[in-house]
Amino acid sequence: MTPIDCALIALFVPLAAAFAIAVLAPLRHAGRPAAWLSVAAALISLGASLVLLAQQWSQPERVVREVVRWLPSGAASLAQVGIHLDGVSVSMSVVVTLVAACVQIFSLGYMADEPPAARGRYFGYHSFFIFSMLLLVIAPNLLQLFAGWELVGLTSYLLIGFYFQKPSAAKASVKAIWVTKFADMGLLLGLICLFAVSGGFEWTATLSEAWATTITLLLFLAVVGKSAQFPLHIWLPNAMEGPTPVSALLHAATMVAAGVYLAVRADPLFAQAPNTQMVMAWLGGFTALFAAVLATVQTDIKRVLAYSTCSQLGYMVCALGAGSAIAGYFHLTTHAFFKALLFLAAGSVIHAVHSNELSSMGGLARRMKLTSAVFIIGALALAGIPGLAGFFSKDLILESVYEADLLVPWAMLILAAFLTAFYMGRVIFLALFGPFSEASEGAIESGFSMAGPLLLLAAGSLGIGYFGAQFALLSGGSYHFHVGMSGMLGTACAVAGLLLSWLIYGARRLTPQAFRFLAPVGRLAESGLVDRFFEFAYRRGALALSDAVGFFDRYVVDGVMNCIGWTTIVSGRRLRGSETGNVRDYVFAVVAGAVVIAFWGLAR
Amino acid sequence: MTVQALLLLTSALFCMGIYGLLARRNAIALLLSAELMINAVTINLVTFSRLAGGVTGQVFAVFTIALTVAEVVVGLAIVILLFRWRREIAVDSANELRH
Repeated sequence: MTPIDCALIALFVPLAAAFAIAVLAPLRHAGRPAAWLSVAAALISLGASLVLLAQQWSQPERVVREVVRWLPSGAASLAQVGIHLDGVSVSMSVVVTLVAACVQIFSLGYMADEPPAARGRYFGYHSFFIFSMLLLVIAPNLLQLFAGWELVGLTSYLLIGFYFQKPSAAKASVKAIWVTKFADMGLLLGLICLFAVSGGFEWTATLSEAWATTITLLLFLAVVGKSAQFPLHIWLPNAMEGPTPVSALLHAATMVAAGVYLAVRADPLFAQAPNTQMVMAWLGGFTALFAAVLATVQTDIKRVLAYSTCSQLGYMVCALGAGSAIAGYFHLTTHAFFKALLFLAAGSVIHAVHSNELSSMGGLARRMKLTSAVFIIGALALAGIPGLAGFFSKDLILESVYEADLLVPWAMLILAAFLTAFYMGRVIFLALFGPFSEASEGAIESGFSMAGPLLLLAAGSLGIGYFGAQFALLSGGSYHFHVGMSGMLGTACAVAGLLLSWLIYGARRLTPQAFRFLAPVGRLAESGLVDRFFEFAYRRGALALSDAVGFFDRYVVDGVMNCIGWTTIVSGRRLRGSETGNVRDYVFAVVAGAVVIAFWGLAR
Repeated sequence: MTVQALLLLTSALFCMGIYGLLARRNAIALLLSAELMINAVTINLVTFSRLAGGVTGQVFAVFTIALTVAEVVVGLAIVILLFRWRREIAVDSANELRH
């Protein structure tokens, strides 16, 4: 099979499954067959992606590109669609399909209690998501990437609002789509500018510095929205209203990483705009720290993980801002594994205790041994403990940010590394150890369909970090692990964070009261200040503007039209009196007219 | 008779016709008044024809008379229909077009 065939199979088999589930109502309502169809499609897609990766592995430099004309205008065409396979897109498509397959298999067990029709719908969305995400990943230009980008946004909306009977879920889905659509405006405008300047949608275009800065800033707005960077991170915690496997797939491992993927793809453009890169580094560093602070005060296990995702995406954005696309992309890959693992393990826990709250967990390590073990692996990988996946990529990020002389963002990342270890330790000690709660007393380990994906992802979280050199090769660079000052410092901070969390929540040597002086930070974090800022901007800015426009439309535009209509009606009503219907009056008018004309003729 | 006298005569006839049209309500009286005006015009035609010499104007006068007869036939038919419909022939009562 040629690479293009493989890519087409990976792309269109999930679409066919989604189409079948959408169109054949009996299949959808049956639930279980739809689920198996979707899982089978995901596995086929994964297989095709793995074949591609195997080919790419032996020839890392290979680029396969097949495009067809789209939007023809005369002899030329305005755009192209097709398939672009290189190291980055192939490895990303493996990550996407692997995590998606794991999540779907996990969902077989997790969603078993849902009504069959809802399960059919759920798996249909999942299949459609794989298609959309792969469409984005293998796009040969930014226009096709934009199409996939919007489609994953749509699936995200549908899956967040999966429990649409719940008002909070319905609101969360609307909030997610509003915030990301606002940001997508940047991508659209950026594409329009790019087309106007370079005549195409290629990410290899060479631009003048002013245009490069403008376009990359617009693209970066889209990245900020999709990858939940400050201040547009507000939709991600709410997105946790969706089912937990959805959070694992879309809102941790793959879809939110699409923003980072865009920045990796468009790296040739970003490299021409040092100013944008500076903005990215600072904003990424700030988000990493800010979201980590928020994560330490959450009581909902999924929200801790959601803020942690924001924070880790901040790391990636900061690395890209430092000009190291490899570091950002490497962290994207490792993060996909351990964050999907963490979310699925959290899902397993939630499935067992029927609650998201940390307070209703506790002591689960004694009841759910496997889940606890993989959760700890994921948490340690996230914290950046040496030997696990997160360590290598985080080390590379810290190194490259330090080398780019971005000292303040670097310091924020180091601090965030400390907090990351702290909040993950907090979750571990609160949920898995300590005394039982009422709910966790009777918790039982999840079944095989949930355990299998957990083990696979745990293996990935343990091992993927050692493939850094190969990843660098695939994305056209080089990487050798070496022990550096930044990495040491980051690791030391991580260990310190874990230790502190153990002292407070594990051994209970320190009470949380000892940190009362930090209370204002916690209150600030919980006050939802950013949300309120947007609310204010929306009420005072957007609504006032639309009021003004509405006033103009209602009283000026409509006023002119109404005035013309009113004049016609009134003058018609007045003139009606002259039409008596009496023959003699008409005769009189004729005669009078004749007389007037006669006099006029005489006078001339 | 002089041309002047003839023109005075036709003017008088025409004015009578106008007066009749404006003052009467009876549809037949209106038709009669219109006839008066047409005849005034016909006499004018003959007068100027004699003044200019030749017979063209007089031939046209005969045509006019024939046409007038046709017109009166149509007009009387309308009056008869009006009478059948409303049992009267006062034109004031037939003002349906107004509404």
